[in-house]
Amino acid sequence: MMTKSVFKKALKNPLSKAGFIIIIGVFLLAMFAPIISPYDPDDINVKAILLSPSWQHWMGTDGLGRDVLARMLFGGRISLLVGLVAVGISTAIGILLGAIAGYYRGWIDTVIMRLVDVMLSIPSFFLILAVIAFLTPSIINVMIVIGLTSWMGVTRLVRAEFLSLTEREFVQASRTLGAKDARLIFTHLLPNSLTPIIVSSVLGVAGAVLMESGLSFLGLGVQAPQASWGNILTDGKDYIQFAWWLSLFPGLAILITVLGYNLLGEGFRDALDPRSENK
Amino acid sequence: MIKFAFLNNKLLNRNAKASGVILFLLLLCNCSKPAQDLTDYTKTYPSQSGGTMIDAMTGEPSGLISMIAGESASSAISGNIFNKLLKYNKNLDLEGELAESWQVSDDQKTITFKLKPNLKWADGKPLTSADVLWTWHAVIDEKTGSPYASDYQLVKKAEAPDPLTFSVTYEQAYAPALDSWAGLQVLPEHLLKGQDLHTTAFARNPVGSHYYKLDNWTHGENIKLSRNPSSVLGQAKIDHLVSRIIPDSSAQFLELMAGNIDSMGLDPIKYARIIPARPELLQKLALYKELGNSYTYLGFNLKHKPFDDVRVRRAINYAIDKQEIIDGVYLGLGINIASPYKPGTRWSNPNLAPYPYDPNKAKALLKEAGFTDTNGDGILERDGKPFSFEILTNQNKEREKSAVLIQRRLKAVGIDVKIRAIEWASFISRFIKTGDFDVVVLGWSLGLDPDQYSIWHSSQQAPGQFNFIGYNNSIVDKLLEQGRLELNPDKRMKIYHEFARVLLDDSPIVFLSAGYGLTAIHKRVKGIDSPAPPAGLGWNSETWYIPEPLRRNEISAN
Repeated sequence: MMTKSVFKKALKNPLSKAGFIIIIGVFLLAMFAPIISPYDPDDINVKAILLSPSWQHWMGTDGLGRDVLARMLFGGRISLLVGLVAVGISTAIGILLGAIAGYYRGWIDTVIMRLVDVMLSIPSFFLILAVIAFLTPSIINVMIVIGLTSWMGVTRLVRAEFLSLTEREFVQASRTLGAKDARLIFTHLLPNSLTPIIVSSVLGVAGAVLMESGLSFLGLGVQAPQASWGNILTDGKDYIQFAWWLSLFPGLAILITVLGYNLLGEGFRDALDPRSENK
Repeated sequence: MIKFAFLNNKLLNRNAKASGVILFLLLLCNCSKPAQDLTDYTKTYPSQSGGTMIDAMTGEPSGLISMIAGESASSAISGNIFNKLLKYNKNLDLEGELAESWQVSDDQKTITFKLKPNLKWADGKPLTSADVLWTWHAVIDEKTGSPYASDYQLVKKAEAPDPLTFSVTYEQAYAPALDSWAGLQVLPEHLLKGQDLHTTAFARNPVGSHYYKLDNWTHGENIKLSRNPSSVLGQAKIDHLVSRIIPDSSAQFLELMAGNIDSMGLDPIKYARIIPARPELLQKLALYKELGNSYTYLGFNLKHKPFDDVRVRRAINYAIDKQEIIDGVYLGLGINIASPYKPGTRWSNPNLAPYPYDPNKAKALLKEAGFTDTNGDGILERDGKPFSFEILTNQNKEREKSAVLIQRRLKAVGIDVKIRAIEWASFISRFIKTGDFDVVVLGWSLGLDPDQYSIWHSSQQAPGQFNFIGYNNSIVDKLLEQGRLELNPDKRMKIYHEFARVLLDDSPIVFLSAGYGLTAIHKRVKGIDSPAPPAGLGWNSETWYIPEPLRRNEISAN
């Protein structure tokens, strides 16, 4: 299948291989956080406030004496979960609307594409800020809101794929043989547009991880005492000159994770690009 | 005057984003050492005039007529521009400011103030008792809508029979009366007559009579004051006061370290950990600590179940380890309290002790109130419903951390707590004014008079009023009413001691701690009383001075 070969090709590129390894690494760390973590992330110790990194606390402790490494590991779970679920939501919406627009065309296409234009014209970070301000800030709301405000790219992509695929011979043939809409969409069109969707989703996760960190940094995302990279960063902001470890480690974690997703996504994109065929 | 305390309230605005950028840049430039400051700030110099002192404020005042603004940002500036009739001296005794003397009638209902002669506004016009009378009319006017109106509405009759005499008559003797006249800033009638105080340009371009006058106000940047040459109380030493508007406290701290501002309020970590660890900061910054007239508390919404049950409130009080909060959040820079009065003052009842940390007693009380863990999940239930609530607080680091510690202690006795920190303005309008909360962690900053009618009296529960927890206790109501009428200080003290005892027993709030006000001031500023007298560090700020050799280059002073 096409996807598999693209994947293989993408991983030939050392940069996207690095991205892949980073993501796998981050995932493993987050997944096995309860086993790896030296402390409970919510274990308060008022006698060990703001200790600098040492053998006992590899990444130091925070303002309530909690181990930063433990909070980073458990915070990683939140960041990745938010990234995946948000992108899952946006991809599902994007595929649905894109498929409808690209397959049926006509007025419904116009309506959906104008809706996309409207959504794209609103700066998404401020839209999300405004929506979260109305809701209770919580991890579930953050996932849903990010998902509901970032489906436009996928919609455009799927629509474009569908527009070109419906003209292809195998689709035309299938239609002539009397295949119904649903069969055409699910067995022919969708599987063949999967690769660009995956690429955009991978890049989307990077955006969602950043968005969650930003919201948590502003106090609108994951709420205390639950750890997330964004709110560990906020805790560190006031003491950056003194307790540098509170800003450095979550900052690096966000940077590396986002970089990983971007490298992998770019790798996919290059592998898909017909002009880079001979490289 | 009573104000909501929201120190270092983080404002969610463009600056929050900007500080994220600054933060990253800082990481990069942290490694470069600043040029060594070789000035010896410990040398003593004779007092001399001149120089500029720069401080920072987190919020910009909405205007400089403080009876309307009702916010600390406004009164911090306007307090340097406008005079009051009376003021508190170093030891918190009242003395005249505009008033030369005052007399209380034998029936205790009339106060007659004699103004100092030859008082002048900064524009040269005479300041007379007519201005005071006009100010009183303004503050009680419904159209003004001043949050401080209630104190002055009790005045039945106010008169200015001659330019130097102002007298007020109350319906009944009113104990906090003199204190209230030490709080009202006198405004010039000749500039404000007939104007709408809410829209007048005067609020941004005021003319006062105090040590300083407004020089320049650059919106969003700074407010500059310069010495008022016709000040009625003599001349302040420092020529210019500049207040820079820096909403983010970490950005303020950077400016303090760089020497671009001279003073700022600190949080315990900056005070006890960061500055002491850096000799180059200690060389130029002096640290001050004073017990403020404020405290932090956990307040219950008494209209919500199960907080209407005193056993539940007491149980939560026993279950919270207050010393842990003082040690862990305030790094020891706080005091355990049992009453809403500053410890050590006459109004604070010395016989009261805070609820000790006793989780077993808490569990027993909860059981008595009908809470048991029927399904073995570690959380107590009553009538099939788990005991679970949300603590709301504003985005204040100390309060958020306190809430986390409380959450952990309450979980240990079987109560499930969630925490939510909300930006200040929406916290007040969305939750406090509507009464839509279960439990809050907040603070009160109090005035010097012991009267706390507006916080605890059952009549003060309307939206926007201060008894938003819905406290309703007829004994407390009666004591508060008596306290306002009693002018004998010893009898008054007994009333408030009894009030505090009932309050502690009833436990409508859990007193968490009284925190120290922590301040850093650049050592170039001399003449500061340390340790701070009862009236506070700034009581004699007009005599603070900056010796010429220590002044910063005036060009960079903006």
